[in-house]
Amino acid sequence: MPLKRREAEWPWYALLGLILLALAVGLWVATKRVNYEWRWERVPQYFFYQDEQAQSAPFAGLASQIRPDGADSRVEITPADGGQPATVSVATDTLKIKAGDSLAEGDEIGAQRHWKIGPLTRGLWVTIWISFVSGFIGLIVGLITGLCRLSPNPALRGLAVFYIELIRGTPLLVQIFIFYFFIGTVLNLDRIVAGVGALALFVGAYTAEIIRAGIQSIAKGQTEAARSLGMTATDTMVHIVLPQAFKRVLPPLAGQFISLIKDSSLVSVIAITDLTKSGREIITSSFATFEIWFTVALLYLAVTSLLSQLLFWLERRFARSD
Amino acid sequence: MIEVNNLVKVFAGRGKPVRAVDNVSTHVSKGEVVVIIGPSGSGKSTFLRCLNGLEAFDDGQVIIDGVDLGHSKTNINTVRREVGMVFQHFNLFPHKTVLENVTLAQRVVRKRGADEAESKAMALLTKVDIAEKAHEYPSRLSGGQQQRVAIARALAMDPKVMLFDEPTSALDPEMVGEVLDVMQQLAREGMTMAVVTHEMGFAREMAQRVLFMDAGKILEDAPPAEFFAAPREPRAQTFLKQVL
Repeated sequence: MPLKRREAEWPWYALLGLILLALAVGLWVATKRVNYEWRWERVPQYFFYQDEQAQSAPFAGLASQIRPDGADSRVEITPADGGQPATVSVATDTLKIKAGDSLAEGDEIGAQRHWKIGPLTRGLWVTIWISFVSGFIGLIVGLITGLCRLSPNPALRGLAVFYIELIRGTPLLVQIFIFYFFIGTVLNLDRIVAGVGALALFVGAYTAEIIRAGIQSIAKGQTEAARSLGMTATDTMVHIVLPQAFKRVLPPLAGQFISLIKDSSLVSVIAITDLTKSGREIITSSFATFEIWFTVALLYLAVTSLLSQLLFWLERRFARSD
Repeated sequence: MIEVNNLVKVFAGRGKPVRAVDNVSTHVSKGEVVVIIGPSGSGKSTFLRCLNGLEAFDDGQVIIDGVDLGHSKTNINTVRREVGMVFQHFNLFPHKTVLENVTLAQRVVRKRGADEAESKAMALLTKVDIAEKAHEYPSRLSGGQQQRVAIARALAMDPKVMLFDEPTSALDPEMVGEVLDVMQQLAREGMTMAVVTHEMGFAREMAQRVLFMDAGKILEDAPPAEFFAAPREPRAQTFLKQVL
């Protein structure tokens, strides 16, 4: 008889489904209660929208010909005083004139439509690039600080500890304000630079501790083997310790980076139009409060889960030598 | 080749400081195989690790091929190139393939080109009979195979001396032979070797001299035939009774 009987798992999956369903129903009932009118149809326009630009007659003349061109119409205008005819292209359903109409200068003919990127897309992009740039700088700062933390030199070690404790002991929001209003003013920094700088220093302090732990987790025998071959301390660090440490700290580093994407929403307080600030701005004009906040949350979720998948894949690739 | 004068190594730690190596003087000539034996905690590993500066000693003098290790102008890395070391736990680089383990220091330290380093590595891996695993990672190898790779890695630097720190102690019994075979081959080729080991068979067969250490001191220094037949020191007698 086997030591452990294998139990069927499907009832638990059924329970999970039931709980999730109950949550969804609860949410629906709750929104009914507050008498909120959902207007999801308002959301897509904040990703992409069609911009209409009114087109008018460049000079007085006659609309001599209107030719359809896909969804557009090309209106040919012959000037009243002779000379070269001009062509204006407008969307057919906005056309306000007929062929043969005579036009004064500035008369509206119709409108041109162009796809434009909406504020949510732009905010999402700002969030992504701010996170990546500050994450990258933070990684370098963290690596240097982590190495200083392990240095035999008391000055370097002390500085590293001071920096790490300073950052870890104060709220990010306060750091962003100080960075923007104080350091930013003293050094005359742009708000973007201040925001990226604050985030990079923040993530750098946490990364430093992760990297320090990673380096210390590599067995002493590795360093001894490398040094016994005549490799310098730097060569040993670069070729032997750091590659192994990096592989080991990838999961906590990934967690830190995912946190950073979420924490980057705090830069909206210094008027950087990231995803969060875009959401807030849209709400003031659309009043679709619930829809926009849910959308913003889903966008953060999409970015962070995409990143965790990517890092999971990277982790498996590194596991080849195990 | 190796000259040691009044070497002292003290471990401070908590409690009473321990003189792990206590005023040791000895020498190893070129082409000589010296085996160091003794009970655990006798300071033999520490002594060996002082010979390439892995353990910073507190007093005395270590001279490798005419270079004084303790001298302020001595670049320890230059000395270490000439002194190969094999560890009890192999210490292969787990993130590098077997071949990369053997080529890395050649390229970084000896500044050899990729082709030269690789052909040298393959020749050495063939010598220790593990060439077919050149592209595997160390984790796929048995202990005996890993130790042979570690020997090849040390040899790749063309060392003048090889130090072995209990090279077979961490191995399963059936793998000890393959590592000892490689070491015997090296000894026959005239490599200067200092070996800390519990393999009395190797000591008896291959060593020119056996050093018996206890409590940080070398108590006996004799050819193996003499030492194993009739150790003079009572402590050596007790030790031999226990291990043989």
